[in-house]
Amino acid sequence: MSVLRIENLTRRFGGLVALSGVNLELRENEILGLIGPNGAGKTTLVNVISGIYLPNSGRIIFDGKDVTESPAHIRCRLGIGRTFQIIQPNQNLNVLENVMVGSLFGQGAGLKEARRKAQEICQFLGLSRIERDITRLTVLEIKKMEMAHALATQPKVLLLDEIMTGLNIDEAREVIELVRKIRDQGMTICVIEHMMRIIKELTDRVLVLDRGEVIAEGLYEEVSNDPRVISAYLGEEE
Amino acid sequence: MRNWRYIVYIVVISLAISFPFYAGVHPIHVATTILSLLALALSWDILLRGGQLSLGVSAFFGIGSYTTVLTHLNWEVSPLLSIVLGGLAAGVVALVIGLAVLRLRGLYFAIVTLALTFIFIVIVRNLTDLTGGAIGKLIPSVIFGGDPAMIYWLTLAIAVATIITSEIFQKTRIHFALTSIRNNEIAAKSSGIDIFKYLLFAFVVTAVIQGVVGGVHAQRFAFVSPEESFSLTFTILPLAMCLLGGSFSTLGSVIGAGGLGVLAEYLRLMMPRGHLAIYGLVMVMAILLMPKGIVGTIREQLVRRKTASS
Repeated sequence: MSVLRIENLTRRFGGLVALSGVNLELRENEILGLIGPNGAGKTTLVNVISGIYLPNSGRIIFDGKDVTESPAHIRCRLGIGRTFQIIQPNQNLNVLENVMVGSLFGQGAGLKEARRKAQEICQFLGLSRIERDITRLTVLEIKKMEMAHALATQPKVLLLDEIMTGLNIDEAREVIELVRKIRDQGMTICVIEHMMRIIKELTDRVLVLDRGEVIAEGLYEEVSNDPRVISAYLGEEE
Repeated sequence: MRNWRYIVYIVVISLAISFPFYAGVHPIHVATTILSLLALALSWDILLRGGQLSLGVSAFFGIGSYTTVLTHLNWEVSPLLSIVLGGLAAGVVALVIGLAVLRLRGLYFAIVTLALTFIFIVIVRNLTDLTGGAIGKLIPSVIFGGDPAMIYWLTLAIAVATIITSEIFQKTRIHFALTSIRNNEIAAKSSGIDIFKYLLFAFVVTAVIQGVVGGVHAQRFAFVSPEESFSLTFTILPLAMCLLGGSFSTLGSVIGAGGLGVLAEYLRLMMPRGHLAIYGLVMVMAILLMPKGIVGTIREQLVRRKTASS
């Protein structure tokens, strides 16, 4: 069963074709890895799915509904949650309040209920001392807060855009465990990542993007042996 | 601590209500002006909390003034009702204009809202039959027969209502929406916030306040004219008061309006010539030394002390 289906999606920025005829299917309760070299269009894809950009052509079907033209806040309420690669937490709110924003507007909860749900999610992710000012958080805590914020909107599909960047090995391992825990709650997850090791460890299936096109799709072992992928991505890395 | 706060509220409110009993006519007039500027400053700040810097306060102030005077003169509605109509008219205009203008951001939004003022000046000046053109209109009698105490209480009620509105905006989900929009609109959208809806709501509510203040102003001085009623003073003074006191808080505008209002009056009495130079100097120094305003700076110091001791 697919939760999210993308058909023949194209997005151009002036003369630059950021995404060209992309097809993608997210199956219920899987963790899909989305990889590709810099400028491949990974973040653009996330932005088009979450409604920040509208596509030039193609369709986005979420949960059986065509959401191609829906504005971002509607998609969030329908159940597409996301994190941001460059996180800009709201400094006017503390940790808990930042998370609360998700449940207040993503699910339309009242203040009290939103507070309770945000507390639950913070606890679930191991985020403590949540009444704190966010300027004093560690990188790991900020990443957790960003995930908590997305989870608070109660998504069916969670798009994690380079959530591991900037973390050391131990911290990345902790986040990997958390992503698995989130999946075990019934969520479908798409992980965008640079580090191949994390993709190998975490994902069920991998999709490789290069210059706006899907060049390979399948299990990590298959994809990592594909000569096109090696020349486009792994070749640079090694 | 909480009780202590309520005691302060009660003392301040009782002092404010009883002010006309122990003050002379001149201080009552000054206080009335300060209170109306306070309401304007606070209404300007409420929209700023959503990241939108409006320079259109004078436009809604003027619309309120004109609607009040014209409905009072032509339809013979009571002065109080005409003020309410002034607020409603400003709100309706804000709703219609907001649908277009709130698609703009930053400097573009600021400039277009500034232009609104001039557009309305031109309209009012040319609808001579209705508005009296460049000369404006006079009301034969001042509201409450010109009783300064009554006018003061009316203005105080409006200022208090604005303070309560501001606190509602700070304590409910609107606060979370506006501050998220100000922080990052893309992140706000992705949290499920309908940005346009919240900004339009704030724009209309603040325009109603500005229209009501304009209406009272027109009834108090019993006339309207294009240059007086749409004067940019009603944009710039509240803006300066809010920035001096501290933006994004109710207390900031209250302190800014009080401080700057009293200072302006004191300077004017002390040195009739050149008081504006001192006034300007105070503004420049304050903004250079305290870019976050009085309340923002004090709050920052308190936080710093707290974190240093913990």
